[in-house]
Amino acid sequence: MSALTDTAGPPRRGGLARHLGFWPVVTAIVFVLIAGLLLLPVANIVGVSLSAGAKTGGVFENYVSFFSERFYYQTLLNSFWVSFWPMVFAVCLGVPAAYFVNRYEIWGRGFVRAAVVLTFVSPPFIGSYSWVVLFGRSGVLTQFFSSLGIPLPSIYGAPGIIFVFTLQFFPFVFLLVSSGLKSIDQSVEDAARNLGSSEFRTFRTAIAPLLVPSITTGALLVFIASFTDLGTPIILGERFRVLPVLIYGEFVNEFGGRPVLASALSVLLLLVTTAALLLQRWLSARFSHATAAIRPLQVQEQPLGKRIAATAFVFLLIGFALLPLANIVVSSFLKSNGPVLVASFTLDNYARIMDRLALPLWNTLFYTTVATLLCALVGTAVAYIIVRRPGPVSSLLDTAVMFSYAVPGIVLGVGLVVTYHEPPFALTGTAAILILAYFIRRLPFSVRSSVSMLQQISRDTEDASINLGAGPGRTFLRITVPLLATAILSGALLTWSNTIRELSATLILQSGTTATVAIEIFNEVVNGNFGVASALGTVLILLTFLPLVVLFTLLGKKEEALV
Amino acid sequence: MASTSVRIDTVTKRYGDSIAVDGVSLAIAKGEFFTLLGSSGCGKTTLLRIVAGFLKQTGGRVLFGDTCIDDLAPQHRNTGMVFQSYAIFPHLSVVDNIAYGLRARGLKAAEIKRKVDTYLELTRLSHLGHRKPRELSGGQQQRVVLARAMVIEPDVLLMDEPLSNLDTEMRIHLRTEIRALQRKIGVTTIYVTHDQEEALLMSDRIAVMRGGRLEQVASPHDIYNRPATRFVASFIGENNFLPAVHRGEAGPGHVRLELPGGQFTAKLRGDLPAGALEAAFRPQDIELCPPDGGGDGLVGTLADIQFLGGTVRYAVDLGGGHLVQVAGSNRSGVALPAIGTRYRLGVSPAAIALFAPEVA
Ligand SMILES: Nc1ncnc2c1ncn2[C@@H]1O[C@H](COP(=O)(O)OP(=O)(O)OP(=O)(O)O)[C@@H](O)[C@H]1O
Ligand SMILES: [Mg+2]
Repeated sequence: MSALTDTAGPPRRGGLARHLGFWPVVTAIVFVLIAGLLLLPVANIVGVSLSAGAKTGGVFENYVSFFSERFYYQTLLNSFWVSFWPMVFAVCLGVPAAYFVNRYEIWGRGFVRAAVVLTFVSPPFIGSYSWVVLFGRSGVLTQFFSSLGIPLPSIYGAPGIIFVFTLQFFPFVFLLVSSGLKSIDQSVEDAARNLGSSEFRTFRTAIAPLLVPSITTGALLVFIASFTDLGTPIILGERFRVLPVLIYGEFVNEFGGRPVLASALSVLLLLVTTAALLLQRWLSARFSHATAAIRPLQVQEQPLGKRIAATAFVFLLIGFALLPLANIVVSSFLKSNGPVLVASFTLDNYARIMDRLALPLWNTLFYTTVATLLCALVGTAVAYIIVRRPGPVSSLLDTAVMFSYAVPGIVLGVGLVVTYHEPPFALTGTAAILILAYFIRRLPFSVRSSVSMLQQISRDTEDASINLGAGPGRTFLRITVPLLATAILSGALLTWSNTIRELSATLILQSGTTATVAIEIFNEVVNGNFGVASALGTVLILLTFLPLVVLFTLLGKKEEALV
Repeated sequence: MASTSVRIDTVTKRYGDSIAVDGVSLAIAKGEFFTLLGSSGCGKTTLLRIVAGFLKQTGGRVLFGDTCIDDLAPQHRNTGMVFQSYAIFPHLSVVDNIAYGLRARGLKAAEIKRKVDTYLELTRLSHLGHRKPRELSGGQQQRVVLARAMVIEPDVLLMDEPLSNLDTEMRIHLRTEIRALQRKIGVTTIYVTHDQEEALLMSDRIAVMRGGRLEQVASPHDIYNRPATRFVASFIGENNFLPAVHRGEAGPGHVRLELPGGQFTAKLRGDLPAGALEAAFRPQDIELCPPDGGGDGLVGTLADIQFLGGTVRYAVDLGGGHLVQVAGSNRSGVALPAIGTRYRLGVSPAAIALFAPEVA
């Protein structure tokens, strides 16, 4: 030790975290946040839903009346109807499309993938009203065809909703099956073909069984998305009522809604989505084969005929899925007179949204950014706790985060209002409650993204930092966070693009001054200002899609990261 | 505070039903280069991580000097650890990697620079200071983490198989370098390896571990020449094991033994184990003599010759399925014997170790 002077031992700092430990303090904070924003609101909805009958002794009064009055239980049946069929159709369309795109040499594969992503991330209610513009009563195509003497089926009611949901949500199946196909080894197929099996038989007997987890997961996600969507049935439903619409109606009814009934309905909605998610988990676990492909299924050479047929199928599907988006972008540049569009180019719509857009756009960007940052911060900490500090608290956190998947936006909205409408936490109508709602809804994106990367990073690197005298907090900030940078960034981009188009929770929680672009579009659509709505919609699609372009090009993520 | 002595006092670590470290007690002197040697899964890493504070032992204590450190968080223990996986910080430059621990200690920039420069020079990395880890070779990365662990002037340096990811040439080069550096700094070092050559070459003392327990703690010379257990005798270097029967005393401290193929006199190293015996002697301690020369020895037939250049290895068959390995040297002008030649194997009484046979 002659040449080198002595170094003092590592410093010991004071503070709460020093006494209790950094991670226990962080865990407690995170836990309070999740409990307060997710578990408490859900518990309160359940409480409220049971409260009405408490005086009369029948706590289940609301539920009893729900299931005995046709008006109500018909709504539930309607919801199942417009969720079940999109699920079936999405599988019928999504599985072959994914198979063709991944296995056949179809033309324009890159375009198809981009189109699927675009469909997937575009707000469903924009798609719905775009279909109205095309196929509604005074729709462009409806009039065109009727002038030819061809009557088109109605876009309103159950068939229209099913049609829109199918096209909107089939990407769940497409993306999951695509990634499922990538995890199957070519040898599986080769072996089956070698035993003399035809292509279809090989698919049915050797490949499809391995895809069961992907297909069932995709199908149930389609079901949940359809079951909980609020915008599309409002726009297309007319007299056909589904559960979310009923909740929304009961909750924000200007002539005195019935929050107790709305709570009971929310509980029903939540029960269905939770059951669907549990079923999905069970099915995935039951049928998972945990294969890692050394050489994934290859693209096969096909006879020209097959190639053309497959390409035609995929492009027809993509064409239908993209039509409403193309329509919005085009009609945003067209002169409009209320719901009637005129075929001449104009920037009027954009000029008109300029002044009106300022506040909602600012609101949207502000809320989304703050919520995204919160998600990144808390999500990374939660991921760390889940991966590095296993134990009962950690698995409880894990379950709670996954539970937030199951809580539909509208239910969360109702829960937050019920919980935070009185002092000292009178948050209803404030920007804070929207930000917190976005935060808790989209937290799983950040958590999942960081969890999967953290599992691949050796613990030694963090241990080395601790060993060199850096405390747990410093180690997390100086070592873990930089190592997770790309995962945190891609989680944040996904959060951003999913938050910016949020409608159902926002509809419940906004208060005019806190309206977002999505709300503004929704209002314009309801008022029949299609030109303005299209211009706003184009802006929103851009804001949704841009972060994904960064995600795919700069971070090299695959579309499968979206689901 | 400079380097310190380390005492490990009946430390045990259980994982559920299995036991990874089983009542290990060690006293490591200040400045000593102490090696934990054992095969995979014997608990070396576990013991090292207990000393570093990453694992909490189930029982026992660890002391640095006279201070029990069991309640001290790992970041306050002032140990410098070198991980098997390097655990280099991939997003930091060489200089920032080395300065990391000094910054955590809140040292002044000038002092940090001075110390970092010193260690860059000691590990011959001065010209690479601003590179990122991915631009370094494995050996260079290993030197970075070594400098990083040493620059904080730890009370104890802990190294977990630091060389096992390197190629042979680099390993041979770095082990001398590490030892020279450790001597210069004088830091107490606990070094983990499963490579016995590394252990013998570098260590002041070696602890041979097996199944969580200590088999023997001794200097490299004693570990090799005076293995305390049959396991150590078979684990360190090469040994021939033959069943032996006690045939009475042969002078003070000597016994007569009957082995397959003949008789030996062996010098007792301690008490004679009770019951059945096994005699162990190393290939290089055997002399090949003519079969009819008289004297002690086992008689057998040359069954195989392996010519390795400088050395030649003979396998001598004693019958009954007993083969003995003999190491000889290849001298110019001396022809190799023919297979089938009969020999008497001579071993000096002091070169024979006696053990109770291993119960499987
Ligand atoms: N977290 C754990 N849970 C259960 N058992 C463990 C755990 N960590 C280690 N073990 C067991 O403890 C024993 C000792 O492990 P340890 O890592 O200390 O071995 P090692 O001597 O370092 O081996 P190697 O040379 O392979 O690194 C092994 O049998 C291992 O399976
Ligand atoms: Mg080890």
